[in-house]
Amino acid sequence: MKPVAISADTNDESQKLVSVAKITFPLLSDSQTQVIRSYDLLVPKGGQDNRDVSGIAEFLLDSSGQVRWRHFGEEDAERLVKEAKKL
Amino acid sequence: MAAKRWNWRLWAGFGLSIAALAGYIFYVNETRAVFWPALLVFVVAAVLLISGAKRRSREPEVYRGKIAGPVLTGLSVLVFAFFGFVAYQVSRVFPAAKGAPQVGQRSPEFSLVDANGQNVALAQLLSTPIANSGGAAGATKGVLVVFYRGYW
Repeated sequence: MKPVAISADTNDESQKLVSVAKITFPLLSDSQTQVIRSYDLLVPKGGQDNRDVSGIAEFLLDSSGQVRWRHFGEEDAERLVKEAKKL
Repeated sequence: MAAKRWNWRLWAGFGLSIAALAGYIFYVNETRAVFWPALLVFVVAAVLLISGAKRRSREPEVYRGKIAGPVLTGLSVLVFAFFGFVAYQVSRVFPAAKGAPQVGQRSPEFSLVDANGQNVALAQLLSTPIANSGGAAGATKGVLVVFYRGYW
């Protein structure tokens, strides 16, 4: 199970977050919000300085890329692990 | 002289307001659609409060609620205002996302750069086996894609 996190942050901002929070999985930078929009998660001007940001959501994909579980809003790690184990 | 009747409508209206707010907050993580049922419950609560207040003003000797009326109504208005505030915050944190891939649908392909400048594509994540990390290396079991608001 591989986690990846996506936001509208720039690469520099992602780098800062990786070092501050000691994140070990990839933090992907979608600064043009293309991927965010392909998932229909755009929150226009929802961030600081009126930047476009992503809504908070989690998508569990199986090895063929099919969505097996999704959730909108924050979710605990426990629940994520539990759903991942079902794959 | 008969004891005054308890003005249950005032209390029911107030109780429903609390229930609507609590229900909304509890369920909103599952779906934003819970906003409309909550709003409906608030409407019912308002009807009860207004009805209770009317009864009190028309028959003050029969119904209680001289102080309870305004207090419960005021509190219910505050509860509703808080509900509005929460609903607004919710809309900013997670959009309706009607176009997001549903369970059973294939996720859209993506290819983005990670914090180290490396390109990461979904197709690549799905096809590359997980690196040996103490257990047997195996085929990938899937990917968890987490969207977050960003560093601020």
